[in-house]
Amino acid sequence: MGSYFVQMIEISRSGLISHMEDLDNVSHNLSNINTNGFKQIRTNFQEMLDRQLMNGVYPTSSQRWNQQGVFETTTSPLDLAVSGEGYFGIRLPDGRTAYTRDGHFSLDANNRIVAANGYPLVWTGGQIPAEAEEIAVSQDGVVRYRVGQTWTQAGTISLYRTPNLSGMISYGQNLWLESEASGAVQTGTPGTNNFGQIINGTLEKSNVDVAAETTHMVVLQRAFDMSMRMLKQTDNMIGEAIQMRQ
Amino acid sequence: MIKGLYASASGMLAGMNRQVALSHNVSNADTPGFKQLLVTMNDYMQTAAYPQLVQSSPLIPVYTGNLPPVLPDYLERLGLNRLRKQGDLGLGVETSSPIVDFSQGALQTTNIMTDVALDGEGFFHVRTPDGDYYTRDGRFGRDATGQLVTSQGYLVLDVNNQPITVPEGEMVIGTDGTITVNGANVAQIGVVAFADPRTDLLRENNGLYSAINAPDATIPVGQVHQGFLEMSNVNAAQVMTQLISVTRSYEANQQLVRVQDDLLGRAIGSLGKG
Repeated sequence: MGSYFVQMIEISRSGLISHMEDLDNVSHNLSNINTNGFKQIRTNFQEMLDRQLMNGVYPTSSQRWNQQGVFETTTSPLDLAVSGEGYFGIRLPDGRTAYTRDGHFSLDANNRIVAANGYPLVWTGGQIPAEAEEIAVSQDGVVRYRVGQTWTQAGTISLYRTPNLSGMISYGQNLWLESEASGAVQTGTPGTNNFGQIINGTLEKSNVDVAAETTHMVVLQRAFDMSMRMLKQTDNMIGEAIQMRQ
Repeated sequence: MIKGLYASASGMLAGMNRQVALSHNVSNADTPGFKQLLVTMNDYMQTAAYPQLVQSSPLIPVYTGNLPPVLPDYLERLGLNRLRKQGDLGLGVETSSPIVDFSQGALQTTNIMTDVALDGEGFFHVRTPDGDYYTRDGRFGRDATGQLVTSQGYLVLDVNNQPITVPEGEMVIGTDGTITVNGANVAQIGVVAFADPRTDLLRENNGLYSAINAPDATIPVGQVHQGFLEMSNVNAAQVMTQLISVTRSYEANQQLVRVQDDLLGRAIGSLGKG
């Protein structure tokens, strides 16, 4: 009978922990509503059976929802959004390339195009001349600058993707790294080969579905309550078994 | 009296078994594709209530159960040569192994293009390193090589039992499971049905089922819906009602154990005094 007690408590415990983890995930999504290029994350839970013995529930994987986020028009020509598939490449200080959907770029003190955190964009050009009066990025990723009346091509921006975008590893700061699970990175010109087009003067906001996440939160709170009631009930049952003999 | 004690205890054990299944269902109330487990209870044994020795009389029905072949002489001398059956005594209750309730779960929109839900009969066919399984959980995605996989990385098979490789582009899944990418036909997701899933399938870990009997190709399968998930078929109101019934019957049995313990104690006490 001892194993029954443990099993009953463990099942309810697994429910409580899973619902709590899922709530953490919902909070993470909701707190990133205003993060540029943020993609909603879903934690997948799965039933746990150990040779037909019921063991509750446990988290198995997480998936990133790579649906398009909403666009916001800005005044900066280096705010770039990808309409469709594809990530920007960012050069990390250790030389590796990280990938992001956050297109909030600007020029740093050395006139390099850098991401919001100061890491340089990976593209074919280098520095934009200091005398440039205007910068424009075309839909196919060509960067041009204007001095006086003359437009000069500075280089092109390529986009990147992996077969399994959910498999990329988070580097933090909205940057993602290639991994064994994501598959090999493919690169391409914006607008070709199913890569999306680049829209300048625009930022892609998060794709968090606030209504769905809020509903999910309510469902989770109820599920948590139910697991809690089950746990209390199990505790009562154990108590009654122990107090059988007055 | 002792038999009654064990019958009540078996009632408590059955209550615990039901509680285990209920807790498991509640924990998985939010797991897509989860099918709730039902526990049913049976009387497990009946026995004739203690045959009572009586003096022979044509008015008393004679017990025909297992009689001792020869009754002791002193009983015969007293004329006690008949056994009277007092009736049947249930020895308690047991729970049967849990039955899977395969009824349809509600479909929920996720807008994730690799999520699919089955509306109606059937199961998706998946391949794991340990062999082929079936599932109702449609949380799919692409793996590192572009193959369609479940949320745990198991291959989703097509109608020809082959893995499906999904190329880059806009994926559309039709209600018959046909996958097209940028308008080009890629594959058709395999959906198979079983004559009686309760007996043809064995429930395994991670929402998977293994086949005991082969699927029946003549059964029409349900429709595949892209951007939806089938939620669990656990019904909160039903679970809470069952919880009350489990609680009360468990309490009643616990009380009966105590009463019988009390009676037994008194019997021993008074006999000792006599």
